[in-house]
Amino acid sequence: MKLEIGNFPVKDIVFGAKTCYSDGLLTINKQEALAVVKEDEHITEADLEIVMPGDQVRLVPVKEAIEPRVKLDGSPLFPGAAGDLVRAGSGRTHALKGCSVLVVGKHWGGFQDGLIDMAGEGAKYTYYSQLKNIVLVADTDEEFEQQEQQKKNHALRWAGMRLAEYLGRCVKDLEPEQVEIYQLPGITRRDKALKNLPQVVLVLQAQSQMEEPGYNDLFYGWDCNHLLPTLVHPNEILDGAIISGSFMPCSSKWSTYDFQNFPTIKRLYQEHGKSLNFLGVILSNLNVALEQKQRSALVTAALAQTLGADGAIVAEEGYGNPDADFIACIVALEDAGIMTVGLTNECTGRDGASQPLVTLDPKADAIVSCGNVSELIELPPMERVIGELQSLARDGLSGGWADDEILGPSVRKDGSIIMENNAMFCGDQVVGWSPKTVKEY
Amino acid sequence: MKKAIVYLNQFFGQIGGEDKADFAPVLKEGLVGPAQEFNRRLEAEVTHTVICGDNYMGSREEEAVQQILDALADKEFDIFLAGPAFQAGRYGNACGVICKAVKQRFKVPVLTSMHVENPGVEMFSKDIVIFKGGRSAAAMRKNIKAMATYANKLLSGQELFDAQTEGYFGRGIRHQVWRPDQKPAADRAVEMLLKKLKGEAFVSELPIPELEKVAIAPPVTDLSQATIAFATSGGIVPKENPDRIQSASATRWGRYSIKGLERLAGGEYKTIHAGYDPTAVDADPNVCVPVDALRAYEREGKIGKLHEYFYSTVGTGTTQAEAARMGQEMIEYFQNEGVDAVVLLST
Repeated sequence: MKLEIGNFPVKDIVFGAKTCYSDGLLTINKQEALAVVKEDEHITEADLEIVMPGDQVRLVPVKEAIEPRVKLDGSPLFPGAAGDLVRAGSGRTHALKGCSVLVVGKHWGGFQDGLIDMAGEGAKYTYYSQLKNIVLVADTDEEFEQQEQQKKNHALRWAGMRLAEYLGRCVKDLEPEQVEIYQLPGITRRDKALKNLPQVVLVLQAQSQMEEPGYNDLFYGWDCNHLLPTLVHPNEILDGAIISGSFMPCSSKWSTYDFQNFPTIKRLYQEHGKSLNFLGVILSNLNVALEQKQRSALVTAALAQTLGADGAIVAEEGYGNPDADFIACIVALEDAGIMTVGLTNECTGRDGASQPLVTLDPKADAIVSCGNVSELIELPPMERVIGELQSLARDGLSGGWADDEILGPSVRKDGSIIMENNAMFCGDQVVGWSPKTVKEY
Repeated sequence: MKKAIVYLNQFFGQIGGEDKADFAPVLKEGLVGPAQEFNRRLEAEVTHTVICGDNYMGSREEEAVQQILDALADKEFDIFLAGPAFQAGRYGNACGVICKAVKQRFKVPVLTSMHVENPGVEMFSKDIVIFKGGRSAAAMRKNIKAMATYANKLLSGQELFDAQTEGYFGRGIRHQVWRPDQKPAADRAVEMLLKKLKGEAFVSELPIPELEKVAIAPPVTDLSQATIAFATSGGIVPKENPDRIQSASATRWGRYSIKGLERLAGGEYKTIHAGYDPTAVDADPNVCVPVDALRAYEREGKIGKLHEYFYSTVGTGTTQAEAARMGQEMIEYFQNEGVDAVVLLST
């Protein structure tokens, strides 16, 4: 399978008469873009904003991030989730690089939503402060979940996907500045030199904890809760086969942009043919019932062994209950003789003194740690807020609270905030960006 | 200038050897023995030296601590330094005991230093900063230098690094940090895997701590006479959540009377737990807290009775330490009110 991603670096974004890209400048016809957003009658209010790194802007509640792209053969960007079911991962995709579509609730937030500071001390807590962002700030008529802590955010997330695809279309017929090529021949068709290298798989444990439809990550539109671990070509992940869900505490969540740009996949591609043979991705999940956890761990190990894997990296989209799946999967792989490295974050409590994962096992002897969800963060007021600051305190964001005996409310009268890292938008970057680690004091 | 006080045993405090190990604590103005080296290295003045015999501290700990704390009560000091204790077990214990007590009472930073084989490391490394010291007094200057360097950073408010970088024994406290080299997790994971595959040494970023296993309780001898209570991390509460238990990362819990109730009615009880799908539990809270089932057992005589209250908190994101504290608090009620067994209800 061969995927070409043609890159169009975005240096600046402005609103203008016509949506177009020229020489690094992305111009957006706001009316036209908003019309695409409002194709769904459930969107009641919508506006677009452009925010740049260094802008004195705080965004909350942030629900999703998507890289604007287009498939040159006219295929949908997110097959099965938003468009017909076709295969992802081959052919030519054009991408607007260095920017993302951020979807922000105009009022209502939830457990799974997060916060981004584009400048100041808070900027370091999330990857998205480094990007030029096209911010869709909108409200919906989904009144049934306005007061719910867990929100499906369906209208907003799908509006974000439409907007990303609309923006991507402006580079469909242009020549990219650079083309990345991702190609892996069939596993049995690889030459001898590759077969002599260590054989490596990447196991992705996608978020799938909710039984009710609408919250979990979707693979070609299929709820990952109903998935048995399955072999996936890494190109499919990079090319929109999977979209982010709307459930996990935000710093542990993987946005759709994270999936589209999955750094650990790209890093394994770099090593492919040099120090390892990248067999592919095993897509697994994080269901809550013990039997489902055990089944996924066993099937993952059986698949990896059948493929002849010598080594594996297991990445977990979540913490708490999913730690059980993470450790079970590592143990099952190690028991099958497959040397395994885990990629996760930790929950050590505000004082740092609690057990870092819900469950542990001496066989999990190689772990890369990307952050601590419970770290307390205090940030000064920001000049401008896009969305609604109160949502952090009022709506049960995983890292916010309405009041606390010792710390007071998350949102203070002067606009300063105190929160747990939990609510930093995709902040722990377990997909592989994280420059953070966790150290003992 | 900031002020420091140093603690020494009878030997380093120049009182005498083993024959003086029962020496009762004294607080001396000025510098005795190693206190001079501390004074030279510290950007603070060592104003007093506390000297206490190791056996006195070992055999009459409560008294010794009280005497020292009383002596320190009217002294001004910004930091308290004990030892170094090297491999001397009783001295290590004394340094640990007094540092812990001084830290608790006066809220000032306390530091000591011990060799890894000193039992004091195992006993106190979770409570206080213990620098990794040498086996014997030959390492005196080096060990004092390490303590003083850290003390100076602490006193002047400079950035403090992790235990390994600073050279003390980890206290089991883990915090996130930004790597100075910004090396992304993807690179770290792939490099670690390649090393592991080649059989080369690598360092896990999350060393697996020794697991605390809780022994399984012995069976209840006669269920038909037993009072059974429910405790849940499933977040079941009366619908107005009277104790304002948090929906995640809980620090609060509540107990709610079920006296005379045959079952928990949907609409009157609900879950506030944000970590699972609440639909089934909200419709019928008995699927999490099965009051209905135990009432049936009560009638059938299978159990003596169901305890008057059920106990509830939220498990999602709740740290092990908070959970253990809340459990301890619940136990007091169970014990005072004659509960024989508790059914822990998960979600």
